[in-house]
Amino acid sequence: MKMIQADGLSKTFRVARRRPGVLGGLRSVFDPEVRKVMAVRDLSLSVERGEIIGLVGPNGAGKSTTIKMLTGILVPSDGEMSVAGLNPLHQRRELAKHIGVVFGQRSQLWWDLPLIDSLRLLRHLYGVPQARFNANLAQLRSMLALDEFIDTPVRQLSLGQRMRGDLAAALLHDPELLYLDEPTIGLDVVAKARIREFLLKINAERGVTVLLTTHDMDDVEALCRRMLIIDHGRKLYDGSVSDIRERFGGERTLAAVLDPAQLATMPHDADGQLIVEDLPAGVHLSRSEEPRIWLGFSRDAIPAHELVAWLGARYSLRDVTFQEPEIEDVIRRIYEEGLLLQEAGIP
Amino acid sequence: MIENITGDLRVYMHFLGMLIRSQAQYKVNVAVDIGASFAITSLEFVAVLIYFGKIPSMLGWNIGEVAMLYAVMSISFGLAEMFGAGIDAFSDTIRLGEFDRILLRPVGPFTQVVGSDFRLRRLGRITQGCMTFVIALHLLPGMHWTAAKVVALAIGIGSGSILFLSVLILGATLCFWTVETTELINILTYGGRDMLSYPLTIYHQVMQRFFLFVVPLAFGSFVPTCYLLGKPLPFGLPGEMVFAAPVIALVFALCTRVIWQFGVRHYQSTGS
Amino acid sequence: MLRFYLEVARTAFRRQLIYRWANLAGLLTNIFFGVIFSYVIIALFHARPTVAGYDVRDTLRYTWLVQAMVMVVLTFGWYDLMLTIRSGAVISDLSKPCDFYWYWFSREFGRNIYYLFYRGIPTYLAGMLLFGFGIPVDWRFWLAFLVSLILGASIGIAYRVLYNAVAFWFLEARAFGSLFVVVALFFTGSYVPIPFFPQWLLAIIQWLPFNGLINVPAEILLGKISENALLFELGRQMLWVIIMTLVVRVIIAVAAHRLVVQGG
Repeated sequence: MKMIQADGLSKTFRVARRRPGVLGGLRSVFDPEVRKVMAVRDLSLSVERGEIIGLVGPNGAGKSTTIKMLTGILVPSDGEMSVAGLNPLHQRRELAKHIGVVFGQRSQLWWDLPLIDSLRLLRHLYGVPQARFNANLAQLRSMLALDEFIDTPVRQLSLGQRMRGDLAAALLHDPELLYLDEPTIGLDVVAKARIREFLLKINAERGVTVLLTTHDMDDVEALCRRMLIIDHGRKLYDGSVSDIRERFGGERTLAAVLDPAQLATMPHDADGQLIVEDLPAGVHLSRSEEPRIWLGFSRDAIPAHELVAWLGARYSLRDVTFQEPEIEDVIRRIYEEGLLLQEAGIP
Repeated sequence: MIENITGDLRVYMHFLGMLIRSQAQYKVNVAVDIGASFAITSLEFVAVLIYFGKIPSMLGWNIGEVAMLYAVMSISFGLAEMFGAGIDAFSDTIRLGEFDRILLRPVGPFTQVVGSDFRLRRLGRITQGCMTFVIALHLLPGMHWTAAKVVALAIGIGSGSILFLSVLILGATLCFWTVETTELINILTYGGRDMLSYPLTIYHQVMQRFFLFVVPLAFGSFVPTCYLLGKPLPFGLPGEMVFAAPVIALVFALCTRVIWQFGVRHYQSTGS
Repeated sequence: MLRFYLEVARTAFRRQLIYRWANLAGLLTNIFFGVIFSYVIIALFHARPTVAGYDVRDTLRYTWLVQAMVMVVLTFGWYDLMLTIRSGAVISDLSKPCDFYWYWFSREFGRNIYYLFYRGIPTYLAGMLLFGFGIPVDWRFWLAFLVSLILGASIGIAYRVLYNAVAFWFLEARAFGSLFVVVALFFTGSYVPIPFFPQWLLAIIQWLPFNGLINVPAEILLGKISENALLFELGRQMLWVIIMTLVVRVIIAVAAHRLVVQGG
């Protein structure tokens, strides 16, 4: 049985616009000027049990509207769906017992209370039997290393600790399906890695299905084999992550600040543009704004640390940073290069 | 259905326990808050005393009788404010998107909203109500108490709390459509409280009928107080109507509940 | 510089225009409370024709004047300054090339004018229509009333800044704020007309700053203050404007100094 099966989901919002002026405002009350906005159009989705699937798209693409419909918070304008064998529309309360939800930007923990108190209250909210709760809590405590802050009021936790607490909170009742909305937003690299590792582990050990919305392509690459790209409420891509990465996401950018004195001695072309000589294969100078240069390189051509070493051996570097491809870039390139759904071979 | 209700009630008790425990952590703060609330609400009652310092009676009600009415009102409104703090803050719940979270849990949204807050500091108004009650007893030395009157007082306060809680729910329901005009509901809550702290019969007929038959807040204060004091009710209503107050309160609560559920459905179709 | 403050006031006025629906709801609430108080007064005056030289009509006018002025002079729930202190935005406000207090004063004055036109005047007109008590028409009283109202509003602004400034020391000052507002409401005649207070309390109240907020302008317009006493009352209001403004400025200076020394 599929974990999520949705066919032709659509959601239209009616947005009332107010006319300017006092009289206009009054008129708008009785005769509102309504504009229809299609947040999601004809979206179909099928997710197997045990999958980790990434839902990506720019802001306002319809990601959260889709998740709200799949959880039963929002009634779709059109379409059929079934989640964990239940109908989210008519069995919202029942469904709630089978799913866990984490919003990266909004904690469900009680601000003033120690984490453990929130977890205990959630036990009652979800009606988890005491023995089951104890076993789950013990497991989550060790997997997420909660012990160091479990008795601290939530408001005093760091963002990373809070996110670990929220993950524990969402998993106490053994959900079969976990929705994650921007789970790593605002976290540092170490905290991100820790969260990703945990998600892979519960997916492997408990078979929890994970549906994840994110801005961070790294999240998708680290966690998902399959991804869905949504833009303007429409499904743009549904297929393997590696495919997308090869075709569009492979290129990373290294930004380096060079020594201005050394820059003066380097060759320039006729237009006064800097020339970097003997670049390794697969690396090209994409932009220069002295003393700053940007080098584009494909992941497979050369490992990042080797490129830094190569550069360091020739030039005196003031600063080096890496830029990952943004989801917006990937989408732009999908449009530019005309990769449409049919092409990606969606069944 | 029944299973859901008992389950929700159990969850509410857990919410309540936790809210009280978390406020009890800051004992000094809570004590200061209760004291401030007591001072503020007492000042409001002092205003009534000042009026009666200059004028002996108000359409047949003397100061002791008005104090009794005022006391019943303060206690029932104080209880409603204390238990209904979560409903009162509902516009924030909507604005911050917290209502989505509430819909994601397997407990009725209503239980979670009511359970989201409980304010110990409202004990200040309840304390003031009790003090005013003692003052009223002192000012009414000839008052004759019977068992029926004690019952009437208890059900009056209970029904009054339920009625005020229902009005708070009506105000919260309005938030599903707009969070801009929520001040309007203050007319029914704070306005209703201030209005019914004085004898209902001093007001315009339309207002009397409104608070007896449409939003029956008078059944939580004026009607029981009239029974205690042996005063006639307007429109020829029998004094024993006070014993119907719980039924009236429950019917009104059920009506607001239906409207609330309509609001939730509206939220689920607009998501705003 | 005056141009700048005028512009600040104008912007504050215009910003308030956005909250049209909220204001309408607030207006209806004001009117409803006015109606309640009116019935209480009418019921009380059944027992006696005049109290402290006020008959029913005078008392109704007084009550509605208070209802009309209360949002103008004593904007409830005003914590704007406190919020800037909590968010730290106050530091950039303090370093602006204008006077911190006059900056807030102009902002608030702009809002006061908004409330005068969109809250105060409609409230009084509603009361007039509902209870038919008319309005005093002597132009000399109106002139004095206007001066007195401006003085009252100035005391009100200083008072609001004062209880907001508590946040420089305690970040959560809302509890203080509501206590400050209720005390002010009581002693301005919002619960009971000041002339109804017992004699001994009146003697004290007359020398409190609250008296100048609403009660003095209201009594002036009702012609309850004789021409001889008029200048004295206005002078007493002026005195409170000066004292309150100075006190608030000293407190802000101390707080600002503390912020600079401790770096927030």
